[in-house]
Amino acid sequence: MFRRRGHLLAILFILPAAVVYGLFILYPLVRDVLMSFTDNTGGPASAFVGADQYRTLLGDPVARDALWHTVVYAAVVLVVQTTLGLLFATLLTRRPRIRRTVSSVLLLPALMSPVMASFIWSYLYRPDGGINTFLGSIGLHALQQIWLGDASIALYAIAAVNIWMFAGYSCIIFLAGYAGIPQELLDAADLDGAGWWQRFRKVEWAMLAPALTVNVTLSLIGSLGVFDYPLVLTGGGPVGSTNTLALLVYQDIFRNSDFGMGAATAVVLLVLVLVVSSSAGALLRRRERVL
Amino acid sequence: MKLRGRVLDVLLVLAALVFIAPFLFTLIASFRTPADLARDPLGWPDALTLANYRASIGQIRYLSSALNTIVLTLASCVAVSVLGALASYPLGRFTARWTSVAYRLFAVGLTVPVFVVIGPLYLLMRDLHLLDNRLGLVIIYTALNLPVSVFFYTSFVRQIPVELEEAAAIDGCGPLRTFFTVVFPLLRPITGTLLTFVSLQVWNNLVIPLVFLQDPAKSTVMANAYSLADPHTLQPAQLFPAALLGALPLFLLFLIFQRQVIQGMTAGAVK
Repeated sequence: MFRRRGHLLAILFILPAAVVYGLFILYPLVRDVLMSFTDNTGGPASAFVGADQYRTLLGDPVARDALWHTVVYAAVVLVVQTTLGLLFATLLTRRPRIRRTVSSVLLLPALMSPVMASFIWSYLYRPDGGINTFLGSIGLHALQQIWLGDASIALYAIAAVNIWMFAGYSCIIFLAGYAGIPQELLDAADLDGAGWWQRFRKVEWAMLAPALTVNVTLSLIGSLGVFDYPLVLTGGGPVGSTNTLALLVYQDIFRNSDFGMGAATAVVLLVLVLVVSSSAGALLRRRERVL
Repeated sequence: MKLRGRVLDVLLVLAALVFIAPFLFTLIASFRTPADLARDPLGWPDALTLANYRASIGQIRYLSSALNTIVLTLASCVAVSVLGALASYPLGRFTARWTSVAYRLFAVGLTVPVFVVIGPLYLLMRDLHLLDNRLGLVIIYTALNLPVSVFFYTSFVRQIPVELEEAAAIDGCGPLRTFFTVVFPLLRPITGTLLTFVSLQVWNNLVIPLVFLQDPAKSTVMANAYSLADPHTLQPAQLFPAALLGALPLFLLFLIFQRQVIQGMTAGAVK
């Protein structure tokens, strides 16, 4: 159809989506970068201040910490979540009878919203809450912590909620990857006398490359923009130890009306996401091409 | 060998139970009286009560918020799928330089976190008088989910044989009619997948309603739960029903459309 009537028709079909997406995503994206060079406070007037916002930002320990927390958080979530998902999928793919039921159960937390998961865990993490009570009841008083009140562990406690929610998700992505491995390949490995570990390392791990790419990409994009969990669980505290870049953007703009600073912080977040996800993507796609 | 398999089965089921233990605990605790729960948090309930749910429903304005969220979710789903499919049709079929540029521009939205655009977007919505307006929220959700929609539909359109549309064109169908009577129905499988994905996003989102709606009467389940129930001061007996009520519609959806939901969440994992 487009071959005969050509460009005009194609443009008409794309137009509605292009207008909505262009006006409400692309335009704000460009404006955010421009705004990061101004002292915009949401009012009609704002002055160009060059790279001042960025200089303030880089000199601000709160912002530098938030950047660091975001990176640590994303790394912890990426590694633990993907490993747990892979472990469950690798075991489940060999047990077809329970595979569907168990993977559905594991997926349940991923259907909840981060707000609701945080509600549950905010109770579990209370000093007199579920986890400490449980540890006490089995005699492990030494392991009891003030989970969200201790600046050295609060960030990891929050990452654990994220991992709890999405390890099952990671598992079903790997299971879909396992389902795509041709049976002949596995049979050939068995015929060659490959053991359990060799079969996994030499055949399955390589064939899971696309699933790994999806897992890593989704996990990075989600965790670098993390906002809901720290907002509900700690509000960024104690003493800023769970402040993330997204939380900082939100506070700059909607608590302090500092749109310029919020925009500059958002640009830092954008650069971080683009650099990390594109370099991870390039690495992972190279693995896929070997297939 | 067989025994080892059985043992592994049992271990896996146990591991899964441990994994969702926080959830099961919440479910049971939500029916316990506050006094009973405080006395022995991990114990077995003395008696079950629905009072927690009644209190929670009132506190987070559950019924009106749920209705708002359902309407928002449905409207966003319709807009995302129709606009996305319309745009993907030429993007998948028509190869010109500008269509590949357009496709790449849509792909940009797949990686950009919402926080990167939220400040300017707020100013834009303010200037358009769309703050505290539910239509404004539908527009934002549509714009945010269009990249995924275009991504799904474009690859799917490429798999549809052209002959069907050509036959329709010969029968005198105009382009729009061909699209809605021939192409769009063929996209149904991927539309189901897309809509479960979008529903999950819209239902569970916190920051968009938090920023763009002020009136609790217009707001969503997540935003009202966050603003009206403070998990640090609230009695657990009231916190748990709130958490479960917030997730309930999606759990029901999952029970009914289990296969589509799993497909929606794993789309792209298998090439």
